[in-house]
Amino acid sequence: MSRYRNCEGVSRRCCLKLGLGGLFGTGLVDTLRLAGQASGTSPEPQATSCILVWLDGGPTHYETFDPKPLAPTEIRGEFHPIETKVPGISFSEHLTRLAAIADKFSVIRSIRHNQGNHGAGNHYMMTGAPPRIPVGCGSFVSFHPSLGSTTAYFRSQQNGLPSYFSMPAMTRSGGPNFLGAKYAPFVVPDDPNKDDFRVRDVSLPGELEMSRFDHRRDLRAAIDRLPRINEPVAGDPVVALDGYYEQGYTLVSSPEAQAAFDIHQEDAKVRDAYGRNSFGQRALLARRLVEAGVPFITLSEGGWDHHVSLFGACRKRLPTFDQTIATLIEDLDERGRLDSTLVLVLGEFGRTPKINVRGGRDHWSNAMSVLVAGGGTPGGQIIGATDPQGYSAVDRVLSPENFASTVYSKLGIDPNAVLYTPLGRPTHLVSDPTPIAELMG
Amino acid sequence: MMRIASLLLITVSGIAAYAEPTPAPVEWQPDTIDVLPADVRLSGLSNRQQLLITGRQGEDVVDLTRDVRYAVETPEIVRITETGVIEVKAEGRTIIRIEGRGLPASVTVEVSNLSEGDALDFERDIQPILGRRGCNAGACHGKQRGQNGFQLSLLGFDPDFDHDALVKEARGRRVFFAAPEASLLLTKPTGVDPHGGGVRLEMGGGEYELLRRWIVQGAPRRQPDTPTLVSVTVEPTSRVMPSGDGQQLLITAHYSDDSTRDVTHLATFQSNESAVAGVTESGLVTAENITGETAVMARYQGFFAVFTASVPLPGDLPAGYYNNLPRRNFVDEHVYNGLQRLALGVSDPAPDHKFLRRAYVDIIGRVPTVQETRAFLDDPSPEKRDQLIDHLLAQPEYAEHWANKWADLLRPNPYRVGIKTVLNYDNWIRDAFRKNKPYDQFVRELITAEGSTWKDGHVTLFRDRRSPDEITTIVSQLFLGIRLECAKCHHHPFEVWGQDDFYSFAAFFAKVGRKGTGLSTPISGSEEMIYAGSSGGVRHPLTGELMQPRPLFGGPSESETAPESQSGTDPRDDLADWLTSKDNPFFAQTMANRVWADLMGRGLVEPVDDLRATNPPTNAALLEALGNDFAESGFDIKHLIRSITTSSVYGLSSLPSDRNVVDTRNFSRHYRQRLRAEVLADSWCQIVGIPQDYPGMPPGSSAKELWTHRVKSQFLDTFGRPDPNQDPPCERTTDTTVVQALHLMNSRELHSKLLDDASWARQLAESNRTPEQIVEEVYLAVYSRRPDEEELQITLDLYNNEGADRRAATEDLLWALLNTPEFVFED
Repeated sequence: MSRYRNCEGVSRRCCLKLGLGGLFGTGLVDTLRLAGQASGTSPEPQATSCILVWLDGGPTHYETFDPKPLAPTEIRGEFHPIETKVPGISFSEHLTRLAAIADKFSVIRSIRHNQGNHGAGNHYMMTGAPPRIPVGCGSFVSFHPSLGSTTAYFRSQQNGLPSYFSMPAMTRSGGPNFLGAKYAPFVVPDDPNKDDFRVRDVSLPGELEMSRFDHRRDLRAAIDRLPRINEPVAGDPVVALDGYYEQGYTLVSSPEAQAAFDIHQEDAKVRDAYGRNSFGQRALLARRLVEAGVPFITLSEGGWDHHVSLFGACRKRLPTFDQTIATLIEDLDERGRLDSTLVLVLGEFGRTPKINVRGGRDHWSNAMSVLVAGGGTPGGQIIGATDPQGYSAVDRVLSPENFASTVYSKLGIDPNAVLYTPLGRPTHLVSDPTPIAELMG
Repeated sequence: MMRIASLLLITVSGIAAYAEPTPAPVEWQPDTIDVLPADVRLSGLSNRQQLLITGRQGEDVVDLTRDVRYAVETPEIVRITETGVIEVKAEGRTIIRIEGRGLPASVTVEVSNLSEGDALDFERDIQPILGRRGCNAGACHGKQRGQNGFQLSLLGFDPDFDHDALVKEARGRRVFFAAPEASLLLTKPTGVDPHGGGVRLEMGGGEYELLRRWIVQGAPRRQPDTPTLVSVTVEPTSRVMPSGDGQQLLITAHYSDDSTRDVTHLATFQSNESAVAGVTESGLVTAENITGETAVMARYQGFFAVFTASVPLPGDLPAGYYNNLPRRNFVDEHVYNGLQRLALGVSDPAPDHKFLRRAYVDIIGRVPTVQETRAFLDDPSPEKRDQLIDHLLAQPEYAEHWANKWADLLRPNPYRVGIKTVLNYDNWIRDAFRKNKPYDQFVRELITAEGSTWKDGHVTLFRDRRSPDEITTIVSQLFLGIRLECAKCHHHPFEVWGQDDFYSFAAFFAKVGRKGTGLSTPISGSEEMIYAGSSGGVRHPLTGELMQPRPLFGGPSESETAPESQSGTDPRDDLADWLTSKDNPFFAQTMANRVWADLMGRGLVEPVDDLRATNPPTNAALLEALGNDFAESGFDIKHLIRSITTSSVYGLSSLPSDRNVVDTRNFSRHYRQRLRAEVLADSWCQIVGIPQDYPGMPPGSSAKELWTHRVKSQFLDTFGRPDPNQDPPCERTTDTTVVQALHLMNSRELHSKLLDDASWARQLAESNRTPEQIVEEVYLAVYSRRPDEEELQITLDLYNNEGADRRAATEDLLWALLNTPEFVFED
């Protein structure tokens, strides 16, 4: 617990930030608005879309955003800190591109929780709710709707586009739980770095020509004879499917929509900038989907569970990661989309302070670093801190609930909303609906 | 019979929640008037009485409570409101005259013992106010961590806890004896102090005054000899209410000393379907424009009573209409009775091809092949529908299809409990359906399972659900339709179940022993033995009391059927005896309701596993008859399916008439359903002629044979299958989504199957069939019918146009048909 904490639970630094935010005309209003949420009003959305980059396995905080140069060798590891564009903030040495744009995003260093297994950690961070029973590492569990499914539920669209994309797979707890299959992620498993990549199902398959599709469509219309029961009271499910076919046709035949999915239309320079690898190209595709109006996109990127040979792996992995995320933030910014797009980068937890005998770090949920950019979040700040050796978040300690509440508030969803399970049980969307004030500015 | 002769059918769109009822037309004159209660005795404790004035004319019943004039002979003794509520002023005796509607009536009122009840009792006098004002609701102070540090037991089921919370916690600020008016209990709900829940109490009103007096009296927990509440009743219990009609409810509390009290003003009301009939805070029910039936629940202090409103369709059917309908078995009789109450018409019988497709999809989980379709359509036998049902029930696919449904409910995630274990469990479930194992035996074997997870698949239930409470919720919900989950942590809000019931039931599973290696994710690959042990117990989480196994109902008076646990035996055997007993109606009815919902598109009770007084079936007599029929057949699932599918009602068309378009739950027509994911996948592959390869399954396996929902399939994911990661496992939804439309329309996987060199399209194109023959084959395969003239005209153009390519034409025709609702839905 921070000794700077006042009786309202807000640290002095936090007040300072709020004050500054107030000067620019947003902070105070937002603070008041958040206070008013208990009365059931939904917050105004600051972000229309969210890109969540999930680093599956739990990325090390030491070698990324929370270097500890003063810790003993067995803790600080092989890498050195580097200065960033923001005086006083340093990252680990392989994040050079992100360091150069550190004024464009925030890093939370002080989220901690009590779930040290992949299944449980994923569940807690992906849903904002701890798993109800002990959950092991290999588990895929769901006790609560994920951030993405909830967003799809509250922000469903009429443009024929799925509301929640997940690439290349759904993360363990990224599903809809009691909200139902309608709000499950639309999974795009294919690799956008391949020449023949197409987003599945949203455009014509393979070699099928538009003229033949149009012909099929006309044929379908001509032979579709099942009588519809048009009185709404009859609740004919066929009528609903008709609407979806109309949306699907619009999507398939709209050049703008098709362009959004067609990563091949992107300038080669931009594709290079994101990195010519599947992760880089997925990030680029995510940006295109944001432009097409998709509210929630999860990029699930495996291979961050560095129990063994962490430094070799990080030397290989971090530069491309750095390149992709920095490019994504810059690109969104240049296109004027960063303000309306919330970008999140996180995993299940951080990693153990002491380097193990195999040269790796193990699971550690007492500390983790989370990158937050865009969506009206102020840039250039570090929120909270771990102790000097990185064992634990100690200053401005935050919970996965605070994190989830921030994401929902940004997207205009009341984190204090009450949802009903099929059992009829009222369930709070987030049990602690307090967003992270520093990010609400 | 209908008083309101004609009322235009109004489609649903934004119904006002609490519309004022329309009074009966002035010219309407009752033959008789009933006044309830017939004579009124009031006292200090029971100082108010809602009157119910009911007019009758032939079969018509009208609530006139708000529609007559009241006059008190001695106004010093009582006053009466326009809504028929008598309020006490002084002791004495008087008469209230009721005028209007031509028939004078009166009621005697006697007021005595005004000082009785001056000493306030927390449970009797204070808690009802907290309940009525919503203080202890789940969204407010009743939630698990309370609200703003102040927690009450959910809906007031724990008076000791609530009394402590008010009187002992918060350093005496909630009730402040030195200055009662400054108590937070009074300043917060009146809005004097800021209150997150808003203003809930009128300053200086009757309830405020009662709370204040209670604090002045020292906030007593209880008064000596206070009778306890034993039941709550509602009057009337049911009524046919034409659209626009009103009905005031009267809620009476009954106490252990035989005294009663009108608690209408303290009860909370909730309509299960406010589009059919809404209810106000004061218990006035109004029939809306939607035809149907709904339960209206009144709750007072943990007890509840249910009023059923039936809102019939305006207008009349010809005399003898129902008598002339075809009755093939008991199902029809019960359905028609229900329809008659609501004056709903019945749709025409569905044509043969629809019946054929329906039966195939429902019973064996795929559409019929071209050959099977031809054989049925060309069969002249009048018995062919019944013969078809028998034929389908004898197919091996029957077992796979129905086992697949049960796998949804039982089969856990192999990543959690182990692959071999789940495979064995899946085999055990399938084997039961292959043998048509009687349902009681199926359940008995399951809940008393012993053996090795590597040999005896059904012990997986106990590997997956490791503690007695985890087993309790699944057993009660699956086999009894009783959702005990709530009662694990607090009293069930709409039911009689409390924590005592939950943990006594859980005690049946206290002695289940486990040996070997437990769950060790991610593989959980080891073997585990499940056996009936001799030690172990379940304790009540609050009292710490060691619980004795006790069934949920069947108390001491039914000791013959309610087993006593004996040492040395497996308590689970006693549970199985009680559970599967023919005297336990819930057991048979829950399964009957599940199967009914599968076949008819909607349960008699919805959700299908939520049978309770406050969620009554749409046709209670039918559910009872189905349950009895099922039990008498020796719990033969095939018999149950046969009873339903050989009824006339099962074979009705989905197309409504103006006399039943509004019906969505009384089975006056068939309700369309999107084909279940596996049925759609298997049917699609069958038609196109290219099976789907599922990883880890033998070639040619169908979707319904998959041993776990974790087998990868974009198709099945798109059309929805339960997520075994979810706890509790969820029923699948039959929603349609845009993603489903997109998948059928554009999926590359489906596209390449359609264009495959081995596909049926190519076979047809390269055969020597004429275009007419090809079109007929395709229609038979996809729609289970032959094309009509016009359809033939349209589709033949595909082949006869200049430059037409037979193969491309056939592919396009197949694509088009497979993308229409006539394929995607069971109609």
